[in-house]
Amino acid sequence: MVTDGHVHIGKSTRLQINADGEMLVRIADELGIGKICCTDLTALFYDMHEGNRLLFEQMKLFPDRILGWASLHSTRFGREALDELERCRNDYGMRGLKIYSTPDMSIAEPAMIPILEKCVELDFPILGHTTPQECEYLLGYVPECKLIMAHAGGQPFAKGDWNRAIMSAQRFENLYLDTASSTIDCGFLEACVAAIGPERIIFGTDTPLLDPWAQLAKIRETNLPQQDLELILGGNILRLMGVAA
Amino acid sequence: MIVDINAFIGKWPYWPVTATSPAEVSAQLAGWRIDRAAVCSTRSVFVNWQDGNCEVEQASRTENRFIPFACLGTLELSHALPRTGYDFEGYAAHGFRGIRLYPQHHSYHPLFNSFTGEILEQAEMRQWPVLIPLRIIMNWGMPMLDLGMIEALVERHPRVIWILAGINYLHELELAVTLLRRNANVHLETSCVMGYHAIAKLVEQCGSEQILFGSGAPVQHGGAGVAKVAKAKISETDRERLLGKNALRLLRLEEK
Repeated sequence: MVTDGHVHIGKSTRLQINADGEMLVRIADELGIGKICCTDLTALFYDMHEGNRLLFEQMKLFPDRILGWASLHSTRFGREALDELERCRNDYGMRGLKIYSTPDMSIAEPAMIPILEKCVELDFPILGHTTPQECEYLLGYVPECKLIMAHAGGQPFAKGDWNRAIMSAQRFENLYLDTASSTIDCGFLEACVAAIGPERIIFGTDTPLLDPWAQLAKIRETNLPQQDLELILGGNILRLMGVAA
Repeated sequence: MIVDINAFIGKWPYWPVTATSPAEVSAQLAGWRIDRAAVCSTRSVFVNWQDGNCEVEQASRTENRFIPFACLGTLELSHALPRTGYDFEGYAAHGFRGIRLYPQHHSYHPLFNSFTGEILEQAEMRQWPVLIPLRIIMNWGMPMLDLGMIEALVERHPRVIWILAGINYLHELELAVTLLRRNANVHLETSCVMGYHAIAKLVEQCGSEQILFGSGAPVQHGGAGVAKVAKAKISETDRERLLGKNALRLLRLEEK
C-alpha cells in the first residue's frame, strides 16, 4: 500500500491552502495512495489545541485513510505541549509529531528536548521541518528519538542540500529522510538508498502544496528494486507509526 | 510527441548526475519519453560559454534528439584579449534554434551593458527564442535573477520571443502570468513549476499557447517533469500543446 507521509490539511492564507479530508482523500485516490499522514495547518502555525482537534474530526470521517500527525506550533508551551501530545495519542489516536522550524524560530534549542523525550515515551516519530544541522543538534541530545527530516534538505532553510542531509543520516541511525520537496533532482533517491539503505526513507508529497504526480514519479521512475520501493512508498512510515499495512 | 525546451548536456558542478555525455543524456531523455530537447551545455554556464556551445554543436551532429541552443555570455572585456563578437551566422549555419542567457552566472546585468541589446536584436531578427531563467534549477542554493529585471528586459524588447524559465513561487507565477497576458511573445516553461494544480491554473489563466514543457534534465528528474504535465487537469488539446506543439511552432520544426 502506498502511504503518503507528508500531507497538509486545513487552511493557510500564506501557503494558499484550504483543504479538507474529502479533498485530500480524493487526490490520494487519483494517485492510488491508500493512506495519508496529515498535519493540520492551524495546529502547525497558530493553535495546537484547535488545529489538532480539527484534524481529529477529519480523521473520524476517513478512519481508514487519514493518519494524524499531532502538531505543535512552538516549543515554548512547556507542560501544555506535552499534555497536548498525550491527548493527541490517547484521545485522538494520532501517531506522531509534526513540527516546523525556521532560522529565526529554530526548534534546535533546549525547550525542544522535553518534547523529544515525550515523543520517545509515546513512541511518536517526529516529522520535523528541519535542517540537517538542526537534526544533528536534536539527536545529539535524544539519539533514541525517531526523527524524520522533512524534505531531506530540499527546502529553503537547508538550501536544497540533500547531500548534506544524507551525511547527517549516515551519522545518526534514527534520522530518517522525507522525499517531499520542490526539488526533483535526478539521482536523489538513488543516492539516499546507496548511503543509508531504503529503510529510513519516507515517501511524502507535501500535498496540497506540491504537485503530487511529480513527487510520486521521482520515486517510481528509478531503477530501485521493488522491495526498496515498497518500503519507501509506505512500509517505512507505517512501521514507524505502528500501523499494520 | 514530447519536446523539452530546457535540458542540458555536461557535468553538474554541485553533485554527481548520472547522465552527462550527449549519448547518456539522450538515452535518459528517451527513457522519460522525451523525443526532442533543446539543449545547452552546463560548460557554457559554469566555465566558458563559447566552449560549451562547441560541445552542443558537436553533440547535435550525433544526437538527433537535440535541438541546439546557444548560451551567450559576456564578451571578454579584460585581459587585453583581441575583441571578438558573437558568431550568429555560425550558430545559424550549425542549426542552432535559440539562445539562452544566464546573467546571474555570467557576472553581468542585462539592462546595463552594450551586448545584451545586440544579442536580442539578432534574436528578434532571426526569430530565435530567448530563454532566460529566474533560477537554473529549483534549488535555493543557486543564484537568482531579480523578477523586476526580467520584467524590464521583456518590456524593453517586446518583439523578442521570450521563454521565462525557472519560475515556481506564486508571486513569480503572478508576474509571469501578467507578462504572458500582456505579450503574446512571452512564454513560460515548466521545469521549476512545482505547485499543486499549478499547470492547470496557468492554462486557465493564460491559455495553453504560451506554456512549454521544460525539464531541467538531466539535473532534474525528467520523468517527474513529464508527470506533472501529463497528469495535469487540462484538455488533451492543451496537453499536446504544452508537451510539444508549442515548442515545435516556436522553433519552426516539423513533428517527426
